[in-house]
Amino acid sequence: MGERDEGAPADGPGIGAGRAGGPCVDLRRPAADRVDAGRVDAGRVDAGRVDAGRVDAALAADRERRRDPRAMVARVALPLVLALAFAVAWHVAGVDLGRLAAGLPKIGHWLAQAWPPDVRELPVFVLRMGETVAVAFVGTAVAALAAVPAALLAARGVTPMPRLRVPLRWVLNAFRGIDAFVFALILVAAVGLGPFAGALGVMLHTWGSCAKLFADQLETMPLETAEALQAGGAGRIAAFRHALLPELGPAWASSALYLFEFNVRASTVLGVVGAGGIGQELKASMDLLDFARLATILAVILVAVTAIDTASAWLRRRLA
Amino acid sequence: MSAPAPALVLRGATRRHPGGRGVADVDLAVREGEFVALVGPSGAGKTTLLRLMASLDAPHAGEVRRFGETPRGPRRGDTRVAVVFQRPRLVGRADALANVLAGRLGHLPRWRALLGAFDDGDRRLALASLAKVGLLDRAGDRADRLSGGEQQRVAIARALAQAPRVLLADEPVASLDPDNARAVLAVLRACADDGLAVVASLHQPELARAYCDRVVALRDGRVEAGGAEGEAA
Repeated sequence: MGERDEGAPADGPGIGAGRAGGPCVDLRRPAADRVDAGRVDAGRVDAGRVDAGRVDAALAADRERRRDPRAMVARVALPLVLALAFAVAWHVAGVDLGRLAAGLPKIGHWLAQAWPPDVRELPVFVLRMGETVAVAFVGTAVAALAAVPAALLAARGVTPMPRLRVPLRWVLNAFRGIDAFVFALILVAAVGLGPFAGALGVMLHTWGSCAKLFADQLETMPLETAEALQAGGAGRIAAFRHALLPELGPAWASSALYLFEFNVRASTVLGVVGAGGIGQELKASMDLLDFARLATILAVILVAVTAIDTASAWLRRRLA
Repeated sequence: MSAPAPALVLRGATRRHPGGRGVADVDLAVREGEFVALVGPSGAGKTTLLRLMASLDAPHAGEVRRFGETPRGPRRGDTRVAVVFQRPRLVGRADALANVLAGRLGHLPRWRALLGAFDDGDRRLALASLAKVGLLDRAGDRADRLSGGEQQRVAIARALAQAPRVLLADEPVASLDPDNARAVLAVLRACADDGLAVVASLHQPELARAYCDRVVALRDGRVEAGGAEGEAA
């Protein structure tokens, strides 16, 4: 014990002061237990004991750090920069509370006109909503399937062609960065009006998102099981199929379902650019200021989206 | 009449790691039906040596011969040599039988392996392997629901389903309690009695002496005792 105490300071306030006759605090461990229990570095680390002198030194160092001019600048300058950025964005976005106040009665008037909803075309709206769901489903399904090989090529440590990985990531980011709406706008011009252009738009955007998600999930997987199978003579692809796919499959399916939910919501507006679905009815109602019809369309969208979100969330919970 | 040629022969096998660890000038031969333990402290080179034997790594100097042949290259699997790792490396979401069947992949044509189209012969062998490790009644249980000892035995069953002639086990009992450790070593002993060449790295010399035919002591990457034997080097 005597040797152990050599490392302790002669005296010290703070935590150590509470213990009679010494600067160190015993954190409720029996003396016999602490004799050799945690001695690591020439008496500086003792399990269950706190060296009050070292705590005081750390406190002083912390005070010094907080007084550092650079830290002070960060504490003051960062909120200022954020406030400035917000003010600029407010101006650029053209926020005008006066116009909002003037427009609110108009919205109230429209809401009044929307009741009772006009349900005479309900079967047509349901059909159009079905078209929107079909666009999202085909787009997501094809994208998810096409994302598997892309993810294999884009995942670090897994790709058989490491040189291709970074350029492929760029391509995926580009597809992910362009919204399905924008793709649909272009594709309507290429393949004509209708839901096919919408499905293609959803497909291209989702392929980028899905492949990136899949690749990221793949990169977090331990490869040791695949290595074990390869050591036993399995080929590289068979080892992936049997070692990684059973573990990754549910996660990938869950990600694809999540993207499907998102795509159903996003596809409701594709009709605005002529890419089919409920969106074109939505646009027609707005153009005619027919709010009773619009109310029915919004109700159909809300019910369908809620039902699909609920079913998909249930499925994803089952997959977890 | 001369004894059969050793299944594994290492002559001057050397592999150095950047940190200075590894193995150097190892001469060792292991015959089929023999259970050899590699013992030594952490960092002695046990895992490096087993990875050389498994062709997971290539030697920097010397040679490793398996059944009289030099392996085609590192990381080239060989169905005649099975490896069991310290951690079982199972597919947690798959059942025990599916995990053991994965040991048959090396015997299947590429497309059947990809589709997982195992025939009755594969399934029979996989179930027999599970029976050998005492887990036939757990065939349908998910691997991640099994205990650590059971998972390690499933890993051995997967190795046995490969129908190997050499079984290499890297610290197979390091993370197991004494009872499970003995159960796993008893299975490895039985494999050697069935004619397999078995090499296992172990931390506990007393277990090595109890279950193995020969104990090879390693220290600082070199064989201290129990090396060579037979026609090696």
